[in-house]
Amino acid sequence: MKQECYKKVERMTASMRIIHWANAIFMIVAIVTGLYIGEPYYQTLIAGPAVHKYVMAWNRLGHFIAAVIFDVTSIIVVYLYFFSRFEKSYKKLIPSADNLHEFAEVFLNLITLNRKKSFDSSHSDSFNTVYFTIFHLLLIFMLFTGLQLYVHGLESGLSSIGSWWPWMLHFATDWTIPATGGNLMTVRIAHHVTMWLIIAWIVFHIYYQIWRTIFWQEGDLAIVVGGSKFAKEQK
Amino acid sequence: MGKDTMESVKKLFTTQSSKVDTNRGEAYYADLYNSCRKRLDELKALPPINNKLDLQAALFDEGIDRRDFLKWASATTAMLMLPASFTPLVADAVQVMNRIPVIWIELSDCAGNSEALLRSDGPKIDEIVLDIISLEFHETLQAAAGHQAEKQLEDAIATFKGKYILFVEGAVPLGMDGQYGTIGAKAETFKDHLIRLSSDAAAVIAVGSCATFGGIPAAAPNPTGAVGVMNVVSGKPIINIPACPANPANMVGVVLHYVLTGKLPELDSLLRPKFAFGYRIHDNCERRAHFDAGEYVEEWGDSGAKNNFCLYKMGCKGPMTFNNCSLIRYNEAVNWPVGVGRGCIGCSEPDFWDKYAYERPMANANIKAPSGGVEKTADEFGLVLLTATGIGIGIHAVASAIAGKKNSEKDAE
Repeated sequence: MKQECYKKVERMTASMRIIHWANAIFMIVAIVTGLYIGEPYYQTLIAGPAVHKYVMAWNRLGHFIAAVIFDVTSIIVVYLYFFSRFEKSYKKLIPSADNLHEFAEVFLNLITLNRKKSFDSSHSDSFNTVYFTIFHLLLIFMLFTGLQLYVHGLESGLSSIGSWWPWMLHFATDWTIPATGGNLMTVRIAHHVTMWLIIAWIVFHIYYQIWRTIFWQEGDLAIVVGGSKFAKEQK
Repeated sequence: MGKDTMESVKKLFTTQSSKVDTNRGEAYYADLYNSCRKRLDELKALPPINNKLDLQAALFDEGIDRRDFLKWASATTAMLMLPASFTPLVADAVQVMNRIPVIWIELSDCAGNSEALLRSDGPKIDEIVLDIISLEFHETLQAAAGHQAEKQLEDAIATFKGKYILFVEGAVPLGMDGQYGTIGAKAETFKDHLIRLSSDAAAVIAVGSCATFGGIPAAAPNPTGAVGVMNVVSGKPIINIPACPANPANMVGVVLHYVLTGKLPELDSLLRPKFAFGYRIHDNCERRAHFDAGEYVEEWGDSGAKNNFCLYKMGCKGPMTFNNCSLIRYNEAVNWPVGVGRGCIGCSEPDFWDKYAYERPMANANIKAPSGGVEKTADEFGLVLLTATGIGIGIHAVASAIAGKKNSEKDAE
């Protein structure tokens, strides 16, 4: 029997972990409040006139705050993809022979139920990087469609932070109307359907990380908590 | 990249926003006032075309006194987003509206917009004002029929060439070479009819959702290939006044603006006048407080409905609909859809019949699959997707557990 030895590898910096958990928490906030905005699924059980309760308004506030936080984390993530001093994710997205081979190997590892595992699992692999990138693209689509829906309420061209804000939102997001099918409702439908794609993404993401931890026996789940995992070293 | 693609990309990034500029400064309005005054004096010097109706007498006959008329004039001035000092000009402009020739044609429609003008409980000022326009041709209203009607139309086009305003009601069927709708003894298709009449018009005003965006004739599966006027007519100023029916107040507003300034009102990216379609119904809705409070009508006739709660959960599309119903209402501010306790169906938005009018929240809506035929709600789609993910994960997890066991047995050997 082979002697197995583990080495510790750093995989996520503290800032990357903060971004991960900020995204995770505010994604739940966005989904819970977003479903309410789409169709209010609980009733306001507060007696008294409408002026004293603000249930839909609080939900919308929570949804928009979550959106603003996603705005910020998205910008940071895009920056880190290219300029991170730790690990530049874009390098794993280039369809080079190495990356394509690694992508295929990791995918084979998944569908052969870990019977075949012939790649270096110590670093971030190109399969997972592609999968994370899909999430960021979905999130960016949500940001653009969501801001388009939001700017409908700023039609006076004014906002509390100045008239540049609605102008910029129109400039940046008006393309979503023709892109989703031509009217305001298609933007809304696209925003809603994309939420389901994101939920499905999250479900698989959690499953896959747990699956890796169980079958690879390298403590992958620890990456997002402590920032490091243990890779097997063959001796 | 083809020229058309380039154009559409350009259009995408230069789309006018729906921003409404309600205050352009004193100098601008002083200039506008003088030019309007001059134009009205010129129009006053012209003789009325055919319509000799005396507006003051007509108003008096209907029991509307001068005070009511001036109240209407100041409300209309506000609707056009002009300063209060323009009220006397608006009152004057109404009197000279019979100097502007109008031709009104109907295509694939139900005459609902004409009906909206005619069938109010008693004619209100907006409707009487539309009586004073010099209507040279209107298929539904005129006495002439057959060849006489054809001749009347030809006469009107020849006499007022380049000067008349063309009102269009109804969609234009383009399918089967336009043969779904023909008019007259020569079976001229609606499309040819519209192109011929619009080529001599000063401006084309599309009234109602059918004429603007295709409306109900263009609803899926759109067998006749119906489209709106702006998809057929080119090279002419086009104004869209959507809604089903279009509000007479907005029709009067556009004509008045033209009479007053000689120009068309400022339009948004869908060619709708901003004074009417610059704001959402939702933002000026009388039930808006209940929306923010989370107080909704849960089913028809419940205590929420009796307390005028928000109709969002009953499918009100006010939050996605740009129109001024909640401000000016219908039939001289008598009432409007939300006011009578039913939701907005977004009748003034493109594709309203397919995308807005399903009378339930969007999250519950039947979304048509791109392939057609199969209908699933957005959330059902989501649950199916999630179930598929769950089943896939389940199969994979169970298989992994079994395979993983075999692996470790192999290792142990």
